[in-house]
Amino acid sequence: MDIPSSLAIISLAALIHASFQLSVSVLTLLSGHAIGSKHSHARLLRLTTGFVFGAGIMTVLLLSFISLVLLHIFGTNTPDVVWSMACGLLVGIAISVWTLYYRRNEKGTKLWIPRGVADYLTERTKSTKLSAEAFGLGLSSVTGEILFIIAPLIIAALVLIQLPPMWQLIGIGVYTIISMLSLIIVWALIGSGHSLGKIQKWRESNKYFLQFAAGSGLVVLGFFVFVVKVLGSTAGFN
Amino acid sequence: MDIIKRGGDRHSEQFMRDKLHASIVAACLSVRTPIGQAEAIANAVCESVIAWLQQHPEVTSNDIRLVATKHLRIHNPEAAYLYEQHHITI
Repeated sequence: MDIPSSLAIISLAALIHASFQLSVSVLTLLSGHAIGSKHSHARLLRLTTGFVFGAGIMTVLLLSFISLVLLHIFGTNTPDVVWSMACGLLVGIAISVWTLYYRRNEKGTKLWIPRGVADYLTERTKSTKLSAEAFGLGLSSVTGEILFIIAPLIIAALVLIQLPPMWQLIGIGVYTIISMLSLIIVWALIGSGHSLGKIQKWRESNKYFLQFAAGSGLVVLGFFVFVVKVLGSTAGFN
Repeated sequence: MDIIKRGGDRHSEQFMRDKLHASIVAACLSVRTPIGQAEAIANAVCESVIAWLQQHPEVTSNDIRLVATKHLRIHNPEAAYLYEQHHITI
């Protein structure tokens, strides 16, 4: 696969990752507590920036770790059966996202993640007073959504390990920045003084659209990768 | 006045006006309401909730949240929305 196509797949996978909402929810709650506790704007910015950095670092670590594991197991020539399994995982998770991502018949933006994880993150947002704690919360929030982000991460990792080393670093950077776009936008809105109520209302109003978009993106990515890597290889194009 | 808390063990605790007041102020500040106005709204909501509590001997923390949201909506609908959303964001 050529470099532009590889980067396109990585970008699409990252865009799907960006449409998942746990980190944005935690950032909204964290900002609400910081503003409500009458902290200064500078402290609010320190906390939210720490959180965004934490989420970014965990994304880099997860993607690098998965890439390293896959590279050790399969080398740079991943078997077609592994690509097929990854595509199947994408479609399976797409169906889960369509049917389960937001809790049905419930108000708000409650997500289908283990309630223990949700309660832990909610409690931690209340207790977070330092940038270092916010950084840790950012790390945890990405881990908390691993059930959904694992599919785009695996596909991005499979593509990454086939690239030359320099392009692998660029690929990790591209994935991380695009996957954090939604978080960066919310961080900028909060930092520039927008009302949390308006942000949360927008998220609640558009939650089913985001759910549909994420699920559809996973199916499109799975189909594209299957055609290019598995069918293309079977037909002798790769 | 004892309030039955949410969660598995459903233990009870004394109603604390200051706690309710602080949470209403926080919701108002989150939607960028000036501090003085937030305090005034929180006082008004607390008084309404206390008046309601006097007619209801046994309540849950969720009942208090619902009643507080109802009264907060009169003063600041956006803050009421955020107050209501707190437990249903994640």
